[in-house]
Amino acid sequence: MILEASRLQFGYAGVQNAFAAEFDFGLEAGEVVALMGENGCGKSTLLKVFAGLLPPLAGKVEICGKDVYDRKDGWNLLELSRKVSLVRMGVQPPDRMTVREFVGLGRTPYSGILDGRSAEDERIIDDAMALLDVTRFARRPVAELSDGERTRVYLAEAVAQQVDVMLLDEPNAFLDIPRSHALFRTLRELAASRKMGVVVSTHSIEYAEKYADRIMVVNGGLVRVAPAGSARAEGLLDWACIG
Amino acid sequence: MRRTAVCFGIVLLGVLVFFAWTLVSGPVDVSLRDLALAVFSPDEAEPFHTKILWELRFPRAVAAVLAGIALSVSGLCLQTVFRNPLCGPYVLGISSGASLGVAVALLAGFGFGALGVLGAASVGAILVTQIILVLASRFRNSSVLLVAGLLVGYFVNALVNVLVSGADAESLQVYVSWGLGSFGRLTLGAVPGFAIAVLVGLALVVCSMRYLNAIHMGDDFARGLGVRVGLSRICVLLGSSVLAGAATAYCGPVAFIGIAVPHLAFMLFRTTNHRVLLPGASLCGALLALVAGLSPVSVPLNAVLSIIGVPVILYVLLRGNRNGRGL
Repeated sequence: MILEASRLQFGYAGVQNAFAAEFDFGLEAGEVVALMGENGCGKSTLLKVFAGLLPPLAGKVEICGKDVYDRKDGWNLLELSRKVSLVRMGVQPPDRMTVREFVGLGRTPYSGILDGRSAEDERIIDDAMALLDVTRFARRPVAELSDGERTRVYLAEAVAQQVDVMLLDEPNAFLDIPRSHALFRTLRELAASRKMGVVVSTHSIEYAEKYADRIMVVNGGLVRVAPAGSARAEGLLDWACIG
Repeated sequence: MRRTAVCFGIVLLGVLVFFAWTLVSGPVDVSLRDLALAVFSPDEAEPFHTKILWELRFPRAVAAVLAGIALSVSGLCLQTVFRNPLCGPYVLGISSGASLGVAVALLAGFGFGALGVLGAASVGAILVTQIILVLASRFRNSSVLLVAGLLVGYFVNALVNVLVSGADAESLQVYVSWGLGSFGRLTLGAVPGFAIAVLVGLALVVCSMRYLNAIHMGDDFARGLGVRVGLSRICVLLGSSVLAGAATAYCGPVAFIGIAVPHLAFMLFRTTNHRVLLPGASLCGALLALVAGLSPVSVPLNAVLSIIGVPVILYVLLRGNRNGRGL
């Protein structure tokens, strides 16, 4: 188990206002889990709690056996940043930042106080860019890229970070159909080849069923998880009014 | 990579040339040979030349270099932290805070160049930075922050005016001439104090290199990269305040360098990496300050800086924009 949530409750305004009742969840290495639910159901909040950026209201989240939010007994911030990465598409890089500089930010957790990059770091950055097929526009500013290109660049940054758990917040929100398929295929390959656990929030049931191992749904005050093949039969997707 | 090295070489050469030029230029003609004598074998040199070199021209050149470095690094850091290309120590009222400190110290009887003035200026700058920081955490909108910074600047300047209006004619005159800005007021004895203050400021900023590079994308993103955002922000802002405060204490309120030089450095070095930008902006700032410092003593420094600097910056910005890179 690479990420383990136990008796977890998440939200902003106290346990009585939590997004859902307490739940347990375990993520295996190499597994892709799709996180689904209506707008405002707390998907982004849950991802932030998994990433250790927000304290859980109750219960705890552990990655590789250590707490993600407790800085004393769990991971410290630097160690944590080598374990988990939360990829969000909303953040805007400054106009002048090039693709290579942006992917290079992924090596920040491994750089010293002067933020240098070793030859090894440079190689990892090159590999990450090659893997996501963004080497062609390495020198272009990120801000000038199309949405599809930008999504791949953001993924490359997280790959360069060499984490065990990758969390993605609606990565296909701005992508067309072929690019969404390509993105989810890439996520599957990444999870398998790098032994990473992946949790990806999305609104597309089609991609979730096709590419995820399991589907996690936040709905009606409950968090439920089922294998992708049986989620529909078990009623996890009823809220989406299929059929 | 090669481009970066070439740019560094050219700007560094410029700094050296204009540093030497500052040493040989002045109302009295002192040749390079006499200067060399004064530096390397003071016994053989004309005592008059030695005196001019060490007591007038060397401090002036050092003041220009240190102030150029301090203000451009301070401006670069503020622009990065507040993610706004219009930020700078002067725009945010931090220089005004330093002026208030200087005014208070002068009225309390400290002379120019005294450590008391430096301390008071730094405290004033840090206080205003604190106010700006509180405002910045309230308003996510950075144009509100700029307006607030300008308002704080006006308010503090008004305080200064009220303070000095009560002073006697002599200190008032000293204060007014200081307020025009000049590199010529630094004495040889004050050079170490200025240099140490700048080094302290630079150390605080340089220790936060990872923060400066990661914060472009926001607090959460930087935290996700293992950067201790709160601590680093305090370090950077403290460093920027000390830098702006020191420059203001010794050279008066100098407006232009802090906001303009970071853009010059961006355009020259074409990167957002502060490992390159910090030294790059430092050298550009030192160069600009040295060039401006060559003007006759009677012309106010701020006027010269704007007259030389604004066309350069506008040209650079317009040229940059042609390649699709604006502010």
